[in-house]
Order: sequence, then C-alpha cells, then structure tokens
Amino acid sequence: MMLPYLIIVPLFGAFALPIISLAGKKARELWAVLITAITLGVAAELFYTVWKGGEILVYTLGAKSPLGNGVPFPIRIVWEVDLLGAIFILMVAFVAFVAVLYSTEYMRHDTGLEKYYALVLLLEVGMLGIAMTGDLFNFYVFMEIMSIAGYALVAFRNDTWEGIEAGIKYMFVGSIASSFILLGIVLLYGQYGTLTMAYLAKMIAENPTFTAKVALGLLIGGLLFKSGAVPVHMWLADAHPAAPSSISAMLSGLVIKIGGTYALARMAFSVFSTGIDTRTIGWVIILFACATLIVGNAMAVIQTDMKRLFAFSSVGQIGYILLGTGIGLAAYGSDVGNIALAGAIYHTVNHAVIKALLFLVAGVVIHQLGTKNLNELSGIARKMPVTSFAFLVGAAAIIGLPPMNGFASKWLIYESSALFNPLVAVIAVIGTAFSLAAYIRVLFTFLGRPSERVMKAKEPGKAMLVPMLLLVAVIILMGLFPWFISDRIMIPAAKMLENAGTYISAVLGGA
Amino acid sequence: MNRRSEQSEMGLIVKTTARATIPLIGIFGTYIVSHGHLTPGGGFQGGATIAGAGILFLIAFGFGEMKRRYNHHLYSALEGLGGLVFLGAAMLGLGVAFFYNTLWHSGPFFNGQPGTLLSAGYLPIMNLAVGLKVFAGLVSAMVAVAAYRRWKE
Repeated sequence: MMLPYLIIVPLFGAFALPIISLAGKKARELWAVLITAITLGVAAELFYTVWKGGEILVYTLGAKSPLGNGVPFPIRIVWEVDLLGAIFILMVAFVAFVAVLYSTEYMRHDTGLEKYYALVLLLEVGMLGIAMTGDLFNFYVFMEIMSIAGYALVAFRNDTWEGIEAGIKYMFVGSIASSFILLGIVLLYGQYGTLTMAYLAKMIAENPTFTAKVALGLLIGGLLFKSGAVPVHMWLADAHPAAPSSISAMLSGLVIKIGGTYALARMAFSVFSTGIDTRTIGWVIILFACATLIVGNAMAVIQTDMKRLFAFSSVGQIGYILLGTGIGLAAYGSDVGNIALAGAIYHTVNHAVIKALLFLVAGVVIHQLGTKNLNELSGIARKMPVTSFAFLVGAAAIIGLPPMNGFASKWLIYESSALFNPLVAVIAVIGTAFSLAAYIRVLFTFLGRPSERVMKAKEPGKAMLVPMLLLVAVIILMGLFPWFISDRIMIPAAKMLENAGTYISAVLGGA
Repeated sequence: MNRRSEQSEMGLIVKTTARATIPLIGIFGTYIVSHGHLTPGGGFQGGATIAGAGILFLIAFGFGEMKRRYNHHLYSALEGLGGLVFLGAAMLGLGVAFFYNTLWHSGPFFNGQPGTLLSAGYLPIMNLAVGLKVFAGLVSAMVAVAAYRRWKE
C-alpha cells in the first residue's frame, strides 16, 4: 500500500530541508526536485492502481480496520481515494514537480530559499492530503496547511509592496473563509457526533436535519471563497500576480481547485447527496458559476498586467468547472448530469496544466525582461521563439481549439449545459468569447513589432525551458486522445463520484 | 533615542528575577512535555512554556545578549529534527499502518504499566518531538521579530 507515502515523502522532505540546506544551495535544490519527483512516482503508481482496479482505496491510520472494537462505526481517521481523488493526486504531484524544477532557476536571485522550498513541499502535502482524506477534520487540517503555506508564499517577496499587500488580503479573508468551514464542521459534529465523511453521509441520509443544511451553507460559502468564485474572487486577482510565478502556477493550477472545487464536489456528492435535495444545491452552484464565468472572463479582457489577466482568466475557468459540478448536481443521476460532471473533472485537469504553463511563461517574461506590463512587451516572438510558442499552445488550449486538450473538456460542458438549459449554455459561450478576446490581445502583443525593451531579450536557461516544454507536451498529448481520456478516465470518475453508496460502504463494509 | 533604549535592557531587579525564574520555567515546561501522556498538557503546551523562558530571556537581557547566544542554523535544524522524530515515530509501525503504535503493542520499551512514565508507546517520543519543534519555532519567530529592521529607515 503506497497511500501513506504520498504524505510521508513530501513531509519528510520539508522537515529535512533545514538540515539538508546546511550542506549548501545546490543540495537543497536537488533535494526539493528529488522529493517532488519521488512523490510524482508514488502518485502515478497510485493512480494506476485505482484506475486499473476500479475500486475505492481505503487506508486507516493506526490500525487495520477503521471500525472501533465491537462497534459498527468508524473511530479512526480514514483516507479514502476514489478515481476522482487519484486524478487530482496525480495532477498535484505533476504540477508541483514542474513548478519546483522551474524554480531552481527562476528563484535563484531571491534569498531565504530554504524556507521557500520547505513551504512549497508543505503546500504539496496539504493538497495531496485534501485529495486523499475521508475525514472531515483531517480535511480541515490539510486545508489549513495548504492555505497557510499559500499565504506565506504569496508574500514571499516581502521587499515588494504588492507581495505584502496581497499576502495580507489573502490571509485575512482566507482565515475568515477557513473559519466558516470549521464552523460548518463543528455544527455537523455537534449534530451527528462523527467526523468520518462516509459515516456522516449515512447519518445525514437517515436523519436530514436543519443543522445539516446550515452546515452545508457554511461549507459552500467557505469553499466558494477558496475556489475564487465571483462575489469573493478579489483576493485571487491580487494574490496570483504578486506571488513568484512558480507559485502562481501552483496557486492557479492547483490550490483553487483542490481546496475549492474538489472539496465542494466531495462535500456535495459524497457527504450530502444522500440526505439533501441535490437540485437546490446544484442551482445555487450554477448561479455562482454563471456570474463567475461572465465577470472573470470579462475582467480579463481589460487588464494590462499579464499575470493579472491570467488570474482573472483563472476565475473565468473556475466558472466552467463550477458549472459542470452544478449541472452534475442539479441533474443528479441522469446522463446529462454525468457528462457535465465528467466535463468538470476533465476541465479541472486541463486547466491545471494549461494555467501552470501560462504562468510559467509569464514568469519567463518577467525574469528576462523585468516587466509584466503588456503595453511594453510587443514583439517578444522575435527574440524568444520557444517561450512564445509555449504561450501560443497555452492560449489555444485555454480557449478550446480542437487539437489541444481544452477542446474536449469544454465541449462536454457546452453539450451538457445546452441539453440541461439553453440559457446556461449561452452564458458559457459568452464567457468563452470574452476569454478569446483577452488571449487574442496578448497574442497580438507577442507577435507585434519588437519594442526597444524587447530587443535585448533572450531565451531563459534549460531549467526554465524544460518544465514549459514538458507542459506543452502534456497539453498536446492529451489533445490527441480527448475521447479516449474522457471515456476511460473522466466518465468512470464522475460515475464513481455520483455513486455515494459505494463511497459509504467502502469504509463501513457491510455495516 | 539613546543607547539604553536601543538595547532595551531591563533594570537589575528584573534581570535578577529572570535569572531565578528562567530555569524554573524551563524545568516546568520539560515536566509538562515529558508527562504529556499522564497529565494535562503535552508537546505544544510544554514547548510553548519553555519558549516563554526564552522570550523572558530576550526581554530581560535585551536583544544584544540574545543575539550572542542564538544560532539561527542550530534552531532551524532543531525544528526540522523535531518534525523528523515525530514522523519517524509515526512510521515505526508502518508494517501494520501509518501511526500504528507498535511500541505499545509489542515494543521493547515504553510499554510499561499504564500510568507510569515509560508507558503509552510512541506518545512520549512524539510529545518530546513536538515540544522541541514548538520551542525552537517560537523562539526563532520571536528572535526574528526582535531582529527586524528598526522603526524608521
């Protein structure tokens, strides 16, 4: 069983880092790359096992069985990984590895790097833990590990005013959102007396109370904040531009999805769907999703700061993921709902890879040219062809052009939303039109006549180019087999998520 | 303002009292950490208590004295070591499960009569590790705050 090694390896890496870094700069960079590479290996192995076996892996901390001695209910912390969790674990481990590899060159001019790598590894621990846990309070703890590492990393360049400002903003509002989630968990524990998600789902199904609805409201509120949905997206547009680019890639590609949309789907489907009317929850999420789609993509069009544009585009793409999840809930159990949910999962993975690539490109531009203002950047394509090619692939993929991976996932979401409610589909298409406008603008900037500032630019070193090309390769490879991936991986994952009964019985056994 | 306020040393009474109380606080904190499995308290509470002794030292004798006795690398490494020991104790029973208390069930030591000091399996080890980590972390944080640039520049 390799499930605990997903936590042990990066945690060991983070704890050992202060001791390793006594050996010098090279040692700690090598250590961080090595640790994330091993984690990626474990994650790939885990994904293969879950995908091949088609069953939910359950791991109990402290004993063989989650159930107490002579009682039919679970008393221990359980980790429960279904196909959805395995997909997210693989995605987290991959993007984290790429980001760490990238930061060996990108962060070279900064100080305090032993703290940087320790925080990155802790961020990874938090995200992996969220994806694998089957215990509500364990989920909260991992969520806080992820969030606090995120606050510190956003404010990592503390000699710049924007880093500090964004860090304070993110931390203040993020802590309030976390306490909403904690309050929801407290209410559920007070009402039902258990924190295991599977057992809680069974209890809610037997006795759906008003307290459970209040708790669900608090959880949705906190998790929508963490995912950057529209009324509470303001922290994201500051935090992502201010963070170092390797961190923006992880924040935008992973943190808002693991801590936001994944947790939301897990709560709604695995914990609450058996006891509470999914139609209502679905429509609430759809409303937020539509607002997020329009506002996020429309705000992206008017930005002049490259990373801020990508940040607002992330908000817009979160709208698609929420839309898929919402339709999956509102049309629970039907084919339309299933396809929408599969589209949401697929789009999460695609967007994680694409947005990581785009932020890494932005990082290269800042690193080589010292500005991220789009008005000063015309004509980069002449001087930095590889970087511009990577951007072209990323932009094409995020809009959803057919040879790239973004096409299939967006198609699934369009198709299911059109079948579900044509008005929602219209809103989704309007959002994409805005997104197209935003990226075409950047593309024309890249391809224009070289400005004076750009004339001296050149390509970055290998440690920054290789991660970008790795992501480009994944985008194109995933784009070549879209329907294979959707039929073999995403739709089974959506089916597994919808089937709360197997999620419950995996922990409780026959009981 | 003047040299005295820059070094922020306290008066003679405070210093003498600190000399007397810092060992007592340290011993009490160690007691809380090592009896975490028997009495209220444990790694975090005891570690924070010992860190209180460090902070009293910092305030009573001033930052200049603290700087001479504080080694950043040592404390950083100690904090990492605390985490590693915790993780190592959790991995002892990995043959059965992560966090399986193998010392308690079949271990060579720490498996005495419940209620005695050498019982409770890996719990005393984990308490010591957490205490070390909390102490090193809190003292480092306070020294870093005290060492921060002056009010104006």
